[in-house]
Amino acid sequence: MKRLLSSVRDGRGFDIVLVAFPLGFLFLMAGLPLLYNVLMSFQEVDMFSLGTFLRPFVGFKNYTDLFAQPETWPILGNTAIFVIGSIAGQFLIGFGLALFFWVNFPGASWLRGLFLVSWVMPGLVVGAIWNWILSGDFGVLNFILKESGIISGNIFWRSDPNYSLYAVIMANVWLGTAFNMILLSVGLASIPGDLYEAAELDGANAWQRFWTITLPMMRSTIGAIIALGLIFTLQQFDLFAAITSGGPNNSSNVTQYWAWDLSFRQYDFAKGATISVIMIVFVMFAAIVYVRSTRHEVRG
Amino acid sequence: MGIRKYALIGALALAGVSMFGLSAKAEDVKLTVWSLDRDIQPAPHLVADFNKLNNGIQIEYRQIQFDDVVSEAMRAYSTGQAPDIIAIDNPEHALFSSRGAFLDLTDMISKSTVIKPENYFPGPLKSVEWDGKYYGVPKATNTIALYYNKDMFKAKGLDPNKPPQTWDELVEDARKLTDPAANVYGLAFSAKANEEGTFQFLPWAQMGGGSYENINSEGAVKALEVWKTIMDEKLASPDTLTRGQWDSTGTFNSGNAAMAISGPWELDRMSQEAKFDWGVTLLPVPKEGAERSSAMGDFNWAIFASTKHPAEAFKALEYFASQDDKMFKNYGQLPARSDISIPETGHALKDAALKVFLEQLKYAKPRGPHPDWPKISKAIQDAIQAALTGQSSAKDALDQAAEKIKAVLG
Repeated sequence: MKRLLSSVRDGRGFDIVLVAFPLGFLFLMAGLPLLYNVLMSFQEVDMFSLGTFLRPFVGFKNYTDLFAQPETWPILGNTAIFVIGSIAGQFLIGFGLALFFWVNFPGASWLRGLFLVSWVMPGLVVGAIWNWILSGDFGVLNFILKESGIISGNIFWRSDPNYSLYAVIMANVWLGTAFNMILLSVGLASIPGDLYEAAELDGANAWQRFWTITLPMMRSTIGAIIALGLIFTLQQFDLFAAITSGGPNNSSNVTQYWAWDLSFRQYDFAKGATISVIMIVFVMFAAIVYVRSTRHEVRG
Repeated sequence: MGIRKYALIGALALAGVSMFGLSAKAEDVKLTVWSLDRDIQPAPHLVADFNKLNNGIQIEYRQIQFDDVVSEAMRAYSTGQAPDIIAIDNPEHALFSSRGAFLDLTDMISKSTVIKPENYFPGPLKSVEWDGKYYGVPKATNTIALYYNKDMFKAKGLDPNKPPQTWDELVEDARKLTDPAANVYGLAFSAKANEEGTFQFLPWAQMGGGSYENINSEGAVKALEVWKTIMDEKLASPDTLTRGQWDSTGTFNSGNAAMAISGPWELDRMSQEAKFDWGVTLLPVPKEGAERSSAMGDFNWAIFASTKHPAEAFKALEYFASQDDKMFKNYGQLPARSDISIPETGHALKDAALKVFLEQLKYAKPRGPHPDWPKISKAIQDAIQAALTGQSSAKDALDQAAEKIKAVLG
């Protein structure tokens, strides 16, 4: 008894308690809902059987039904475009800004802080604002493009199936750039200055220094930020709800919005859960990338 | 010791008194009512007035958000915590009544002196029916008709007292009224991919002789083709595809659309915002003399089957129904009753509009009733959007919708 107690206070027992606590928390708060979601995707769920666990088991029927629907593949494709487009935009602009502020001109840190305003705003507010900017007849964006002579007629960003998805990507890039910039700035700041001094003495020009020092030193930061970006874009819902509602004709529909629409608009909870399971697989992949890239960090 | 004893007795006495007081109050039957009405809408006032009657029934009111009505109600019902009374959107009514979640009120209504089926408009009444029985009472109703800007009609040489009566006239007038240089579209409506799109399209399909069970009938295809003409010729803003009715009619109020299809919920805002002479006319029909139709919106009252006080809950509904005559004056909502004549408001445009809406209500048809309405509606929305974005022809889109609906209907 005494040994057990002392082990808990300082020894193996203590380690086990430390591990068990977060594990238990994770299992309760994330694991159970996740398993419940997987379970639902194999059942026939109806709104009146929502309160029970024991529902008729239908095997892979929800999955086969889902992939028999004509909109499934286009929506998965949209999701891929949305994720890649958003991450690419957020990362490139964010990295550009981070490098820009790294030059450290007077007021740089101040301005960098101000950029976070976009990240602080709730998604629905951002969506409402972009809704006005992107509006077809009286939108600010169309006005600017027209006045500067880039387009001659209005582009209906929200209602033209050729543009609607990119309209949401634009809004999402704006929303996520600041977060990318801050994380990348932190990464840049942690690169030791003497590396650059040494390279300069060896006659490396700015471009060579960027390729051979900055990028390799930032590898783990970049890996983490892309993984986080994948998670953030896969959970981006507010912008779709506020700007296009996935329309017109599903041209800007993505899995996360579709899952909600199926569950809470059409009350087809099983299909909603099925889509979520498919998304979980993608997020798992991102999580693995994230964990691998940050593991590097801890050891470094 | 003595003091402590007295204190104890005193405490016990106090507890007894308060217990007695509580039990006296507990004799009141407690009911709960859920609805989405805010403080400027009828339900909370009806509840407060009812409580003032002090008739041994006390109602507790809870406001729920529009998006949550069905999911909250379902969750509550499946866990045995449903309220006694709920206000539910009419296309969702059948979902609950078909599962036995709502109480069958047929017998109570047949004995009631206040709620009589013959006093209600046929459309709203049909939405509370399931399998020939009444599972609720219509709370209020609305429908859609055509608003038009009389000043613009004059400016374009059209007779402001002759608004379009047929589809062809509507398209023709819209062509004349559309003026891209002045940022004016001929028509504003909503073809959004949600219930609003179905709400706006179904009346057109019904006027063409179609219905949700028969969505690819010739007349319905024609209706969608007319919509496509309007969109293709830019007689309405392309944003019609993603804009709801409230925002679309906003462009009418600001003078950027010459006509708008919407409902009586716009009247208050329009009388304040629209700085021009406007009127309302019945929805145009396919050709002269064709059958009229319109959409039917708004909520119904229903009693959950799980209630412990069905008689008291019905008494509350009777009280709510007895106040129907004040609904338009106080809250701008139309009672679903044909036996009530709504007093004039004194606002000439509004009163004229009201007459048209009451006429239009006679032709209003409910969506469904069917327990899987959201899926049926989704099929119709998909067809509208596929046709209007040019991804398939009106015929193909509606054929596909008909197939999906057939699968739902089984």
